[in-house]
Amino acid sequence: MGTLVEQPGYPKLQLAHVSKQFNVPRSGEQVRAVTDFTLDVYPGEFLSIVGPSGCGKSTVLNMLAGLDEPTSGQITMDGQQVDGPSAERGMVFQNYALFPWRTAWENIEFGPRYGPRARKLSTQERRAQVQRYLDLVGLTGSEHKYPHELSGGMQQRCALARLLANEPEVLLMDEPLGAVDAQTRVILQEELLRIWGQESAVHDRRTVVFITHDIDEAIFLSDRVAVMSSRPGRLKQVLDIALPRPRVDAVRAMDEFYRLSREIWQLIREDAYRASISQGTEPMVAPVHS
Amino acid sequence: MRARFGLKGFLLPCVLLIVWQLWGIAQPAQSAAPVPTHVFESARQLIASGDLPLAIFQSIQRVLLGFLIAAIVAISIGLLMGHFRFADRNLDPIVESFRPVAPIALLPLAILWFGTGTPAAVFIVAYAAFFPLIINTIFGVKQVDGLVIQAARTMGVGRFRILQTVIIPSALPSIFVGARLAMGIAWTSIVAAEMAVGAKSGGGGTGGIGQMMFIFYAYSVKLDGIVVCMIAVGIVALLIDLCFRILQRKVMPWAH
Repeated sequence: MGTLVEQPGYPKLQLAHVSKQFNVPRSGEQVRAVTDFTLDVYPGEFLSIVGPSGCGKSTVLNMLAGLDEPTSGQITMDGQQVDGPSAERGMVFQNYALFPWRTAWENIEFGPRYGPRARKLSTQERRAQVQRYLDLVGLTGSEHKYPHELSGGMQQRCALARLLANEPEVLLMDEPLGAVDAQTRVILQEELLRIWGQESAVHDRRTVVFITHDIDEAIFLSDRVAVMSSRPGRLKQVLDIALPRPRVDAVRAMDEFYRLSREIWQLIREDAYRASISQGTEPMVAPVHS
Repeated sequence: MRARFGLKGFLLPCVLLIVWQLWGIAQPAQSAAPVPTHVFESARQLIASGDLPLAIFQSIQRVLLGFLIAAIVAISIGLLMGHFRFADRNLDPIVESFRPVAPIALLPLAILWFGTGTPAAVFIVAYAAFFPLIINTIFGVKQVDGLVIQAARTMGVGRFRILQTVIIPSALPSIFVGARLAMGIAWTSIVAAEMAVGAKSGGGGTGGIGQMMFIFYAYSVKLDGIVVCMIAVGIVALLIDLCFRILQRKVMPWAH
C-alpha cells in the first residue's frame, strides 16, 4: 500500500487560484463559495481544512474529488489536471453514503469489483483484499450485516474500509466523524490514524485531505491545518502542527496542542459567530470586534 | 403477514357470508339474487367441468404476457426518463397525455389491429400495466440518493456500471410498488377486455374469465356464475400479489 512519490517535495495535489461560484436556482443570483484558494498538499501528509459552517470547505473537497468543477483556477494531481472523479482520489462522506442494499462485505467489495482495477483482480485476490480491510477497520464478524443494522461508528468504519479497499492514492474525507457521538469520535480519531498508518514511514502513508469543523480533531490528526474564513470562502492561514507522531491520547494534554487550539479558534471565532447567526441558531460566543 | 391469514382474519368474511345468505333467503323465490349456497354449488360445477380452471388459465396467460411486455418496455423507458433529463423532457408529455386514456377506450383500435383473440387482450393488459410501472420506475430513479452515486463515481466506477449497480438497486423498491399496482390493474383490464374482445368466440373457457362472465350475463343469465368468476379473479390476484411479496423479500432483503 505504498504511495508513489514522484519527486520528493513535489506536491501531490495543487490548488492554484481556485474559485467556485454557484447559481442560486430561483433568483439566478451568483454566490461565491470559494475565492482565490491556493494550496499545495504534499505526498503522505495529513492535511485538515477547518472553518465555520458554510465557509466552502466541502466545496474545496468536492472540487479535489472532481465532483465539482472550479469556475476559475486550476487543480492538479501529480501535475495532471483534475477533470472528473477518479479512483485515485477516494472520498468518505459525512453521512457515509454506504449502499443500503449491500452488506458490509458487499459495500467494501464495491470498488475492487466494479472499479477500474476490477479486471486485474482474481476472485480470490478480491476476497483477500476485502477481508484485509474488513479486519483492519475492526468489522470482522459484521460483514453480513446491512448498513442499517450497523451503529454509526461501525457504518463509518465500513465507509472507511470501502474507501481503502479501492486503494486510492489520496483520501478525501468530508467530516467523516461528524455524525457519531463524542466518545465514539475520540476513539475513531485514534483508529483513523492507526488505519492511515501513522506508525509507518511518511512515504508509505497516503495523502489525506480531511474536512472538519472541530479544531481539536484537526490538530490531533494533522500534519498541517488550513483555516478558512467564510463569505467568500478564502484560505486564511495554514499552520504546521509540530506535535510528535504517533499521536496518542496524551498529545491532547500538551501545551502546544492547547496553544494551537487557541490560535485557530482566534482565527475562526468571528466567522463562526456570524455563521451561527445566519443559520438562525443561538449565538454561542460573543462577537470579537477588532 | 401471518396474522392476516390467521383465524382472526376470517371472522369478518364469515359474518358477511352469513348476512349475505340470510339476505338471499329473505328475497322472493323467483329472484335471481345469488346466495352463498348457490354460488358454492355453481363453483363446484364449473370446477368439475373444467371450464373455470381453463378460463382462469387462459386469463392468467394473457395477464402475465401483457404484464411482462409492459414491464420490459416501461422499466427500460422509465430508467431512461429518470436518468436523462432530455429523455424525461421529451417523453413525459407523451406518457402523460396517454395516461388518462382508459385501456378500454383502446379496444376498438386493439380489435382492428389484432382481431378478437389473445393478442388484442394482451395489448390492452400491457397498455394498462404500462403506466403504474413507468411512473414508479421514474420516481424510483429520481429519488436515488445523489451522495451514493457520488460515492460510486469517486471509486472510479463508470456510468453504465453505476446505472447497473447503484441506480437500479436503489430504484428497485419503487419499481416493485409499480409492479404490484400494475398487476392489479392488469386484472381489472383483462376482464373488461375479454368481455368485449372474445365475444364471438363461443362458450367454454377459451375466451378467458371475462368472456365466461359475459356469457353468464348475456346468454344464460346466471348471476351465481358471475359471482364465482369474481371470486376466482380475486383469489388468483391475491395469490399473485403474495408471490410478488415473497419475491420482494428474496430480492430486497435489506428493505425489511
